[in-house]
Amino acid sequence: MVDWRLFDPLFEYARKRSMWIVSFCTGCGGIEMPPLATSRYDFERFGVMPNPSPRMADLFLITGYVTPKTLKRIIITYEMQPDPKYVLAHGSCPLNGGIYWDGYNAIKHLDKYIPVDVAIAGCMPRPEAVMDGIQKMMELIETGEADGWKRYKENYEWYRKNQDELFGEGWREKTARRWIPWLMDKKKEVKEE
Amino acid sequence: MAEEVKATWPKGEEIVSALLEKAPYAEGSVRRERRLEFKVPADRIVDFLRTAKASGFELLLQITAVDWPNEGEIELVYQLFSISHGTHAMAKTRVPRDDARISSVMDIYPVAETYERDAHEFYKVVFEGNPKLEMPWILEDEDREAGVSHRKDFDMLGYVKKKYKILDRFDEDKENYVI
Repeated sequence: MVDWRLFDPLFEYARKRSMWIVSFCTGCGGIEMPPLATSRYDFERFGVMPNPSPRMADLFLITGYVTPKTLKRIIITYEMQPDPKYVLAHGSCPLNGGIYWDGYNAIKHLDKYIPVDVAIAGCMPRPEAVMDGIQKMMELIETGEADGWKRYKENYEWYRKNQDELFGEGWREKTARRWIPWLMDKKKEVKEE
Repeated sequence: MAEEVKATWPKGEEIVSALLEKAPYAEGSVRRERRLEFKVPADRIVDFLRTAKASGFELLLQITAVDWPNEGEIELVYQLFSISHGTHAMAKTRVPRDDARISSVMDIYPVAETYERDAHEFYKVVFEGNPKLEMPWILEDEDREAGVSHRKDFDMLGYVKKKYKILDRFDEDKENYVI
């Protein structure tokens, strides 16, 4: 029997150098992604790669303000990711609402709903700042401090309570069923009768 | 202060007078070059838009609602655009605030369906004849049930405080906050 903990430093090194991100852009930071991904700043040299599916992703970039409607999708996408998973929040909006501090439609503290590992200040942070955040994330992964996914498991009741307080109980099912009455083909029903 | 420039636009005057001949119940004016303005009574808006479409205003760009709480009215602004005349025009109409009802213009401009849903959701204007008013639009169900509206008398800050439970340290009497 091999003790896999022996290989942990190797695994952490590999995780640090191969962060794949979910293609999920919210708010204004989505505009900062093209320069980051293309030849000017080129985050692929850190091993960061845009990735079409949350099932293969490690890093979740919250690129700006989060509305309740988006937060529902963010939570579902975050829970779809396999462990280990890391969250990098851009700008002041996920921290305290930013300029939307009195808006009915922007989340004020993202940290209450999903765990955030690294937060970058700024409105909007420049690509250099985002690269600094990625660098910081790599350090945290190497030292094992990026443990948001563990915190989410340990304190799941607390996170769940906050989510339910905001959205109401049973919001997942309600959101999934929301459009069904409007998607039914009414002409077709009449013909069948 | 610069002296106010009275802009005149002879072609615009012609368009307005030609349209007002067909629709004598409306009032029209030229605001400046390529901006026309019409005021229409609420019960004739369908006739007016049908006439306007027949005389060259092919596009409906937007339906905007403006809340006037002191006058007890909601103003609906139909933004029209004419490619053949090359001008923008707005048709303004007013409906009472307590019973905001107006007939839908979907059959004239099909795109109005979307804008009417927008005005219905945020200003509670009922457009009679639009079948999709109750369809989910921008607001989430929780907000819709709580009665969120962009009318001036809705206490938005109080609602935000209640919803997110974080703004208690601010003073309600202040008009501006510095954070």
